Amino acid sequence: MKKKITKLLSRPLLHIVIVLISLVWLLPSVGLLITSFRVRNDVMSSGWWTVFQHPFEFTQYSLKNYTHVITANGMGQAFLNSLLITIPSTIIPIMIASFAAYAFARMEFPGRQVLFVIVVGLLVVPLQMTLIPILRVYNRLGLAGTFIGIWLAHTGYGLPFAVYLLRNFFGALPKDIFESAFLDGASHFTAFFRLALPLSVPALASLAIFQFLWVWNDLLVALIYLGGTERVAPLTVRLSSLINSLGQNWHLLTAAAFISMVLPLIIFFSLQRYFVRGILAGSIKG
Amino acid sequence: MRKRILVSVIMLTLVLTLITSCAPAPKEEVAKAGAVTVLGVWGGSELDNFREAVYPFTEETGIGMAFEGTRDLAAVLTTRVEAGNPPDLAILPNPGQMYELAKDGNLVDISKFMDMDELKGNYAQVWIDLASYEGKPYGIFYKVANKSLVWYNPTAFSDAGYEIPTTWDELIALSDKIVADGNTPWAIGFESGAASGWPATDWIEDIMLRTAGPDVYDKWVNHEISWIDPAVKTAWETFGQIVGKEDYQYGGTAGTLSTNFGDAPASLFTDPPEAYLHRQASFITGFFPEGVEAGTDYDFFPFPPIDPAYGTPVLGGADLIVMLNDTSEARELMKYLASPKPQEIWAGLGGFLTPNKGVSIDVYPDELTKKMADMVVKAEVFRFDASDLMPAAVGAGSFWTGTLDYVAGEDLDTTLEDIESSAVEAYE
Repeated sequence: MKKKITKLLSRPLLHIVIVLISLVWLLPSVGLLITSFRVRNDVMSSGWWTVFQHPFEFTQYSLKNYTHVITANGMGQAFLNSLLITIPSTIIPIMIASFAAYAFARMEFPGRQVLFVIVVGLLVVPLQMTLIPILRVYNRLGLAGTFIGIWLAHTGYGLPFAVYLLRNFFGALPKDIFESAFLDGASHFTAFFRLALPLSVPALASLAIFQFLWVWNDLLVALIYLGGTERVAPLTVRLSSLINSLGQNWHLLTAAAFISMVLPLIIFFSLQRYFVRGILAGSIKG
Repeated sequence: MRKRILVSVIMLTLVLTLITSCAPAPKEEVAKAGAVTVLGVWGGSELDNFREAVYPFTEETGIGMAFEGTRDLAAVLTTRVEAGNPPDLAILPNPGQMYELAKDGNLVDISKFMDMDELKGNYAQVWIDLASYEGKPYGIFYKVANKSLVWYNPTAFSDAGYEIPTTWDELIALSDKIVADGNTPWAIGFESGAASGWPATDWIEDIMLRTAGPDVYDKWVNHEISWIDPAVKTAWETFGQIVGKEDYQYGGTAGTLSTNFGDAPASLFTDPPEAYLHRQASFITGFFPEGVEAGTDYDFFPFPPIDPAYGTPVLGGADLIVMLNDTSEARELMKYLASPKPQEIWAGLGGFLTPNKGVSIDVYPDELTKKMADMVVKAEVFRFDASDLMPAAVGAGSFWTGTLDYVAGEDLDTTLEDIESSAVEAYE
């Protein structure tokens, strides 16, 4: 009886705590969202929370920041550039990483552990350290300022984490499935494509989101390897040049932030069902 | 299913590649003879106006300009220079980095191709000296900020019956009068993120020029006199006559310390005004609320003289353009930029002051800008922002934080000793 009461009580309590934490978590974004709909003079003279004094007075809201950002010169080009950079920079590392991870997890070869430790070790190398040496190589090879160069750079920066995550995931898949497959005469190739990959869709999806967001939001890597000229600059670089050198017009960045967030949000919600889906649902059915 | 996703993603990428390669090239790419890459901090309206100023050059010569903008110029430029991939031209926000680049031999001596007599005709000697390192000119100054300005709201001023002060004593008397009327004289904001404190250094520099004179000022910049020197101390104490008084500042010292420099002037335009005076550089007009009019809502007077012996000097800052790759296209663009024509175009568009004497004062769009420009060109004594010339550990470090400590109420001697100890190390 007592148990039941605690259970009944703890549930709402848990919910309240969760809701509270989410609210605190969301607060900065909500503030940013509200600010993005306010006019410049209001943003400069009062805090965003003051809109709650009369939240239904719609004259205080305006779409001006959004129209300004969207109609700024070269915004369409920048959006395309961002896609051109991000999509290959997401697909290439995940492809390579899944092959590598399978090898580390399921294939026996000498030096496997050492190689894996090296890959994991690369996780702690700060990417800023690599900027100058890699840019030097790129100059030599004529890759500086090209999309291929930045795809390779993002692939390199994304690989260690991707390999590490996928290897652990592949390693956790039940051995029996693979053994029975090999008994039926499957090669590693078949096992990889028919077993490992389909079973790992949740892991691949989360990895894709991570990598996509990282590349989409990246400013530094693009600025260094690609440069900021309009022909190649991604959205992040273009948006940062909306404000003047001393920070005049920073209020535009609030709207810019939400505009650049739209695509990642779409990606997230469309891939979300892969997270929820049971990891091994139905995998060992006869 | 998975295959279909993959295929559609690949198709999408291909289609996008096609679209972008067919997309019409932006204006800057019209170039036939290749483009000069320019790296700089300018963005927003500055960049639009700069593009406008360069456009006639592209039309005439066929040489385009590919502008790369970043506000973290120091990091990006250092990386690109180290990696052997520098931009052709760079626009630096102050001479400090120019000296470093010149020291390492990364800059092109512009006297190799520039008509120096013409340059000297257009630029006062002080500007050429500032842009030189060990006697060789490396850059041209662009986009000057006149920092010796006190902004006020003329309507509010005349309503309250206040007069423009012409000396420091009158300024203090006016401040006292405003307090006596139950109002607040000064709107001050020293907050600026990681660079908080820089507006306060401008105050002290401006005062120092007026209490100690340009010669002592130069010695102070080069650390030939120490920070605990009485001349430096006097300047800080004079600064303290304003920031040491709670009722002088809108929001008190806490307000001064926590208000962003860009938000501070908004207090001049409320009804009734929250404050009456605001000392800040010419670029602050870009932060004024929308809809305020030059002349009726805002105007400025020169920061008044303190010691009559030193008159009314002008303190300023400026961006400068340097050249890192010696190509013929870059030379052409550099020559064009040094000439009055592009500076006249930009000046006409607003938000731009130039030290170039070849630019007629008539090109500025309004009376206010003309007055500011006139002050810069005609100044008997012009000095560059000291904190921009000092080593970064002081000029963008202990000097900034020291001013904040002082405003927050720290003892002056301790503050100056702290800055001095960091300066001893930094100037070695």
